[in-house]
Amino acid sequence: MTATMTRVFSFLLVVLAVYLWIGYSITELTGGGRESGGAVDISPEGGEAIYWGKGRCFTCHSVGGQGSAVRGPNHGQFGEKFPLPMGARAVERAKERSEKEGTDFTAVDYMVESLASPGAYVVKGYKNEMAVVYAPPISLSLVEIKAVVAYLMALGGDLDMEAIDTTPSEETQKFYAKISAAAAAGGGDPGEGAIIYEDNCTDCHTLNGEGGEVGPDLTGISAKGLKFISESILQPAKSLTKGFETYVAINKEGRQTIGLKTRDEATEIDITKANGDVVTIAKEDIKEIKIDETKSVMPDDLAEALTVKDYQDILSFLMLQKPQAAR
Amino acid sequence: MTQRQTSRFVRLGLPVLMMLGLVVAANPALALEENVYRQFLGIDSRRLVWFLAQMHLFFGAFVLGVPLFAVIIEIVGWNNKDPKFDKLAYEFTSLLSVAYATTAALGGLLAFALFTLYPTFMGYMAGIFKDVMFMYALLFFGETFALYLYYYGWHWLKSDHPFALNLQWVFKGLGIVVAAFGLAFAVGAVGPEMRVDTRWFMLLLYILPLAIGLWMIRDLKSSHIFIGILLNIFGTAIMQLANSWAGFMMSPAGVGGDGAFVGTVWQAFENVLATPIAIHRMLGNLAFGGLVAGSYAAVKFIGAKTPEEKAHYDWMGYISNFVAIAALIPLPFAGYYLGREVYSTSAVMGNNMMGGDFSWTFIIQAMLVGSLFIISNYYLWSGMTRIPGAERYYKFIKYILLALIVSFAIWLTPHNLPLSSQEVGEMGGSQYHPMLKYLGLMPAKNAVVNLIILATFFSFLLYRRGNMVDSVSIRDQGKGARITIVIVGLAAIALVAQYAVTMLNMDPAELDLPADRAEYIRMVGYLLVFECAVGLIAIVLALIDRGKLGQGLYLAVTAFNVTISLGVWGFVVMEKASPVLRNVAVSQFLQLISCLILVAVIDAFLFKRAKSLGKIKWGKMTVRSQYALLLLTFIITMNMGLMGFIRSGLRGDWHIFGVMRDTSEWAYTPSNFVMTQQVSAAVLLFMIGCAFMFWLGGIASSNKEE
Repeated sequence: MTATMTRVFSFLLVVLAVYLWIGYSITELTGGGRESGGAVDISPEGGEAIYWGKGRCFTCHSVGGQGSAVRGPNHGQFGEKFPLPMGARAVERAKERSEKEGTDFTAVDYMVESLASPGAYVVKGYKNEMAVVYAPPISLSLVEIKAVVAYLMALGGDLDMEAIDTTPSEETQKFYAKISAAAAAGGGDPGEGAIIYEDNCTDCHTLNGEGGEVGPDLTGISAKGLKFISESILQPAKSLTKGFETYVAINKEGRQTIGLKTRDEATEIDITKANGDVVTIAKEDIKEIKIDETKSVMPDDLAEALTVKDYQDILSFLMLQKPQAAR
Repeated sequence: MTQRQTSRFVRLGLPVLMMLGLVVAANPALALEENVYRQFLGIDSRRLVWFLAQMHLFFGAFVLGVPLFAVIIEIVGWNNKDPKFDKLAYEFTSLLSVAYATTAALGGLLAFALFTLYPTFMGYMAGIFKDVMFMYALLFFGETFALYLYYYGWHWLKSDHPFALNLQWVFKGLGIVVAAFGLAFAVGAVGPEMRVDTRWFMLLLYILPLAIGLWMIRDLKSSHIFIGILLNIFGTAIMQLANSWAGFMMSPAGVGGDGAFVGTVWQAFENVLATPIAIHRMLGNLAFGGLVAGSYAAVKFIGAKTPEEKAHYDWMGYISNFVAIAALIPLPFAGYYLGREVYSTSAVMGNNMMGGDFSWTFIIQAMLVGSLFIISNYYLWSGMTRIPGAERYYKFIKYILLALIVSFAIWLTPHNLPLSSQEVGEMGGSQYHPMLKYLGLMPAKNAVVNLIILATFFSFLLYRRGNMVDSVSIRDQGKGARITIVIVGLAAIALVAQYAVTMLNMDPAELDLPADRAEYIRMVGYLLVFECAVGLIAIVLALIDRGKLGQGLYLAVTAFNVTISLGVWGFVVMEKASPVLRNVAVSQFLQLISCLILVAVIDAFLFKRAKSLGKIKWGKMTVRSQYALLLLTFIITMNMGLMGFIRSGLRGDWHIFGVMRDTSEWAYTPSNFVMTQQVSAAVLLFMIGCAFMFWLGGIASSNKEE
């Protein structure tokens, strides 16, 4: 039996050696192994670690002959289709954009825009399908995004660390603000958040002049801060806005009507219920009317209805709603 | 129970009890806190947990897979009154005893590693699944009792002296009650909110076997079989509970906006991916258990000294391989279903699976799965050398091999190739090869996997017919044969027919498609109707003693439909109405399954008691074929490790996808090379463990013989 087992295990070792060789070859073929992103600094090296690691950029992009992904444009110099590496390409595209729009659009602006709003410019032959890298599950921080920009700019372009980090242009600052707002909200995707808002909130809330009036106007809501918005969604009764208190009107027969007091005349009042129905009650029929500070007309079960991602998405969308003057 | 058995039981129970202690200390609010990570002796905690989990799963799969077919073989032996099968079933079961203790010990080790190295994560998980974990522990005790009673009671419960009629009717009555409950369960009267896949999983794997097992009890031997069924029910339930944790980590349910758990335990248990994983794992375990038992037979065959020994272990290897192939055939479809559900849960995970981090891992997986089928076929062809008369069918082997190789090549062709700039220039500037790029897409893969399965089934038919002179008249076999063919055949056709109706009535809006895309759905429906019509013709042909023609017709039409028609249509659909692609895949699967069932049932009667050209010469097999059997075991074990890496890695940098981020230093996806290192180490250790278990089993049986 010993001889048999020796033969069997020798055979197994040969099979495992082939398996290891396949794993090694494929890893080499597809751009080598990845290591943990860890904490990175804003530098091309830091960006490279993010690009090939936590950022998962390699899932869709290659850099020249490194990597095998082709879903997105190659970021290196590669064949006739990509005669310039990404840094140099960004300079060209920014120049085209500046000439076309008559603005001073820089290569860094272009690169940051590609990450903050990937749909703003889609390379011919590719789809507008890039993931939002500052939203889950990738959720890059602003520092990590700056590092990736530095890495890509270093690929054949002029690496201007001041423009990337210390003194960014107005355009770049605008994108950084968007990324920061989303990151502060747990890294939600504002685009998805807009859809969720449209489906769940528009009927009751006004935003930039559009929507219902049952709840407070949310135009410029970001000024109230992340904590307030978060609390308002999860525990609406805890942070009631003045003028939107919940009234409980009890008539002489003991029937309760709960909702917002949307009209108060000498002889009657209107109570708008959570479902939007307006109930008019004559004042002479009211036995008692009071504010219930423990209740909000807004549904209090959103924490159960929304997934974590929905919640983060909608938070990031609301955090982008700057006051009108600040836009 | 002897002192040795008692101490083994205590040893098994201890890790479970200690784990429960840890569960009691759990807290579901931990998702809101910063994650704590620890290390043991400076070892990479993720790699350590990965390795332990893999080892636990290997042994667990063996322990769950082997009883499944041990009981089936025991039933076959009991039904045919053939002690050879009973002996084989006992021999398989004897392999379990040591494996079971090892599985439990590894499970305890894994639980300790998780609770100590990932305390925040495990605190959160245990807080949510506290009830499920307690149930897990209780079921574990149930499985332990059932296993030891099944194994040690084998000879004690062998009498076929019937029980008193009253007692028999008590069991039958209980069986009827369970069956009635099953019916209520099936129609949704119990747990109306339950997911359809979970409901059918529980119905088919718990309630139905329980009802049948109770109904069967009439003597001590059938009571023993019932214990075997209970053993499988306990084992499957344990696996399902543990799968709900793995599923929850990928598709958490009942979690509120701020990460706190606000749902019910049932919601968490019945998360979207729990059952698809359980179905896939169930079939995988069966195939794995079969092949590990097959490797035992192969090793014994290679080392056999006498022709009798060779004959016995050759037969054992054949049965094991047969069981494994039977489970392998539906496995790709269970995998497709799981993949589809992963994609539905999160497009990010889905894209990462086939087109991201794991796209090349899937190429390795394709190599392994393709190899499994080709080597299984090789083993069957080798087996034909021991069948007198099988040489008549050798001429078909080269065509089957050609079909398998072409299909294999397509199966592992990637969509795009890693090329140099110069190579891209030579291909006209595109990184996609003008023709090969199509072979890398799902319609091509779906088409060839169906052909691989059909080819394997065809090999099996040839093997079966090896020593039969010719088919026999079905008309002469009486009503029973005809009724069986009609009932089973119609049931097989009904599988296709119900989906044809669905396709012909489906509103494109259900798939978020405009109304003008209905034709892409209807076309699939018409093809299914055609398949049903051919199925009916095949039944009629079988009834008028033209069974071979009926089989050939149905096989040919199915091969054409699933490979050519729907293969090509898949590309059209992908271009014009891509959501329909999943319906195309389902229709391919249903036609294939229907074909396998109908052709197999016709074959069973076509060659029932057919004249034989001689008995199968068990033991007259090449040693090379035994290495093929061993290779199958090695490959399926490596593949299990690889698939575990993909399933777990899909979560990316999340312990619980979208809820609890992995903030450790190991939060990145390891390379394929790291995966092969890790899996190879686990495979090697598992095989060493198996060799040790088999050696121990050998000592035990030789002691008994003495």
